[in-house]
Amino acid sequence: MNGRIARVLLSTQYAYMLEYRAEIALWALSGVLPFIMLGVWSQAEAASSLGLDRIQLGRYFLAGFVVRQFTLAWVVFAFEEDALQGRLSPYLLQPLHPLWRYLAAHLAEQATRLPFVAAIAATFFLLQPETFALAAPQRLLLALLATWLAFALNFLLQSSIACLCFWSERASALERLLLIPFLFLSGLVAPLEAYPPAMRQLAYATPFPYMIHFPAQLLAGGPVAVAAGFRAMLGWLLLLLPLCLLLWRTGVRRYTAMGA
Amino acid sequence: MSLVRVDDLGKTYRIAEKQPGLAGTFRHFVKRRHRDVEAVRGVSFTIEAGEVVGFLGPNGAGKTTTLKMLSGLIHPSSGSVEVAGHRPHRRQKAFLEQITLVMGQKQQLIWDLPPLDSLRVNAAIYGLDQGESRRRIGELAEMLELGEELTRPVRKLSLGQRMKAELLAALLHRPAVLFLDEPTLGLDVNAQARVRSFLADYNRRFGATVLLTSHYMADITALCPRVLLIHQGRLFYDGQLSALAERLAPYRQVRLDLARPLPEVPWSDYGELESCEAREVRLLIQPDRLTETLARLLNDLPVVDLEVSDPPIEELIGRLFRQGEVA
Amino acid sequence: MGGAASEWLRYLRTLRRFWGTALASQMEYQLNLLVELVAMAGNLAGSAFLLSLFFGPGQRLGGWRWEEALVVLGIYTLLDGIATSLLRPNLGQIVTHVQQGTLDFVLLKPIDSQFWLSTRTFSPAGLPEIVVGLALVGWAAARAGGSFSPTSLAQAILMLLASVVILYSLWFVLATTSIWFVKTWNSTEVLRAALAAGRYPVSAYPAGLRSFFTVVLPVAFLTTVPAEAILGRASSRWVVSSLLVAAMSLLFSRLFWRLALRSYTSASS
Repeated sequence: MNGRIARVLLSTQYAYMLEYRAEIALWALSGVLPFIMLGVWSQAEAASSLGLDRIQLGRYFLAGFVVRQFTLAWVVFAFEEDALQGRLSPYLLQPLHPLWRYLAAHLAEQATRLPFVAAIAATFFLLQPETFALAAPQRLLLALLATWLAFALNFLLQSSIACLCFWSERASALERLLLIPFLFLSGLVAPLEAYPPAMRQLAYATPFPYMIHFPAQLLAGGPVAVAAGFRAMLGWLLLLLPLCLLLWRTGVRRYTAMGA
Repeated sequence: MSLVRVDDLGKTYRIAEKQPGLAGTFRHFVKRRHRDVEAVRGVSFTIEAGEVVGFLGPNGAGKTTTLKMLSGLIHPSSGSVEVAGHRPHRRQKAFLEQITLVMGQKQQLIWDLPPLDSLRVNAAIYGLDQGESRRRIGELAEMLELGEELTRPVRKLSLGQRMKAELLAALLHRPAVLFLDEPTLGLDVNAQARVRSFLADYNRRFGATVLLTSHYMADITALCPRVLLIHQGRLFYDGQLSALAERLAPYRQVRLDLARPLPEVPWSDYGELESCEAREVRLLIQPDRLTETLARLLNDLPVVDLEVSDPPIEELIGRLFRQGEVA
Repeated sequence: MGGAASEWLRYLRTLRRFWGTALASQMEYQLNLLVELVAMAGNLAGSAFLLSLFFGPGQRLGGWRWEEALVVLGIYTLLDGIATSLLRPNLGQIVTHVQQGTLDFVLLKPIDSQFWLSTRTFSPAGLPEIVVGLALVGWAAARAGGSFSPTSLAQAILMLLASVVILYSLWFVLATTSIWFVKTWNSTEVLRAALAAGRYPVSAYPAGLRSFFTVVLPVAFLTTVPAEAILGRASSRWVVSSLLVAAMSLLFSRLFWRLALRSYTSASS
């Protein structure tokens, strides 16, 4: 992998993703869950007793939506499809680690998604003008960094699961399993401040809050421990990166032993 | 030093077994049974640089498995294999840059984009600079008779054009060894012929070693002076195709059209009976007794029409595989 | 007897054969089923926990008590299970048929194409959800003091059936659009995502969303109305509207399908 390969891969994948922009727009639209949850939370009696302000809730869930859009990973599905279609064999015979291809595809897809996410966010601000606020520039930069790290985290986690495709035909089913704790512990359905302290502690023991809650609070201007958060994210990344590469190497060995 | 060296190569798989029916489904769900299948066993051969070799055999014989072991996609269970001084299954960068794999009806090119985009990616991956890659694309495109097809999305190309574009992409880095698995599968007769002539041309021009599997005999006869016959995982024959034909077919095929059906004739007096349907009879006759037998047939029987031919090599090889060994 | 009765019998027998082979092929994937069970348990636990956050001491959600809201969650789980078992495996195949040209084979079979496409297969993956959903509904309704009198039970079942029909029709119509627009095949995913709103009673939403979830995307009819029926407090107005919406949506799906087929068969190649 070098700069030239990266550039060519990214530009080619972007051209490819543009062919699928209708589908990608709909995928962006299917991320409405934060908005549904906002609907419920904004009217809930419980909100005020938990110290959740309506406007802040609006900013949080919008930020959650945006962060989700730019941190989600679909490696498992692409990988499974490639394995089924026999595309994996040619990839293995080229002097480029196949995971780079998937990474390029993800980044290209995010670039294609950007206008649609912006449109949805703009629509939200039109419907709820009081939630609009411009965050401070350093805050914005920190949020951007946190979002990219969250994406890396998610990508590595899903790639590790994708490697399990080498052992089982239905690794995507395991991805579904992981979606459950993600949904409830990442802060996508409720700000973690709404959780009882025991649950909050449980959540922070997992990587999930750093995938949505941490970047979203940074973006929305909510209360969050910045340094501790970044430290935790780096820790998780240092754990997942070697794990993913190891799983890949053992997985390919098995794939070639079983008969490609 | 040979380019390809294979010694006592073997590959065994474990597969799960399931009994049919609903009871079998539940039993399989609870406890799975396995059995071992030897896909390849005891195969040994060497190939020199620049050779064009065909792997021939019925479906499931083990030729694709052998090819995948040579290219590094499958880890052998036993024996050793060395290609261009490397052990293929380690898939080291230096090895990968010298080989290419093309599989019939399997797509490497990006579906929704023109082939040129996929070519750009390959050029970057193999480290070809812009000028060099442009030159090679031009050269290969001319050999393959591809022009504006390179700028059309792959999904808009016909199967034949797609295959040619695939070949272009696969050969851009000018590999020393080409592995081709059923490259003409599904193509129409014209496209097949063009792919064959291209491969022959490529081998002549660049001296690349070509290893090819196919169950289209025409591919083999057109391209491969040397064949390796693989049946039930074992190497049956390794040598010149012409010698094989001679060895397998020490007889000529004779087709008789009779004036009326004659079920009572003792055909074995004339030669080996291949088929007898109403008034059409096919016989296999030794070449040295051909004229004498034909004279007797014309004399003894009411023959309306007669045709003498060489049995097609596919038939010979098919018979060979049914019989189970080379004489 | 009559031609109609034997027709129905033929369809029933076909259904049995469809689902028998589907079961055999699905059970090849042991891991898949196990994962479904664990996923369902986790999902339900998480949803119940999330719901509990709204019910501090003495608090209500849109006027609903905790046990009543659980009934809604139970109905949502039940419907989700039905979607996983019946709707997703079948209606998700429509776009595949269009892409691969195998829709032609379906149209040439001596059996109604909408029936075929809608019931061809069935996935046991949704069964745990259906069972647990029903159990949750029963348990929560008892806790909430709902009556289990024959009339309210009959009403409840009727409303549930109406929900299934409405869900089916919505999904089917969206899946059918892939005959014209293959590139927007995942519009059914947007539907599925939006249906998550059915986890909560419709009165929990602000006024604007409430009308949206009643008129545009009838989530209200899907979970809230059957819940009210089970709790024995369904107003006849809602019951009748629900039945009407179900009938109309089914009819619409049929007409829409005919329109789509006409367009499909008149297009060349």
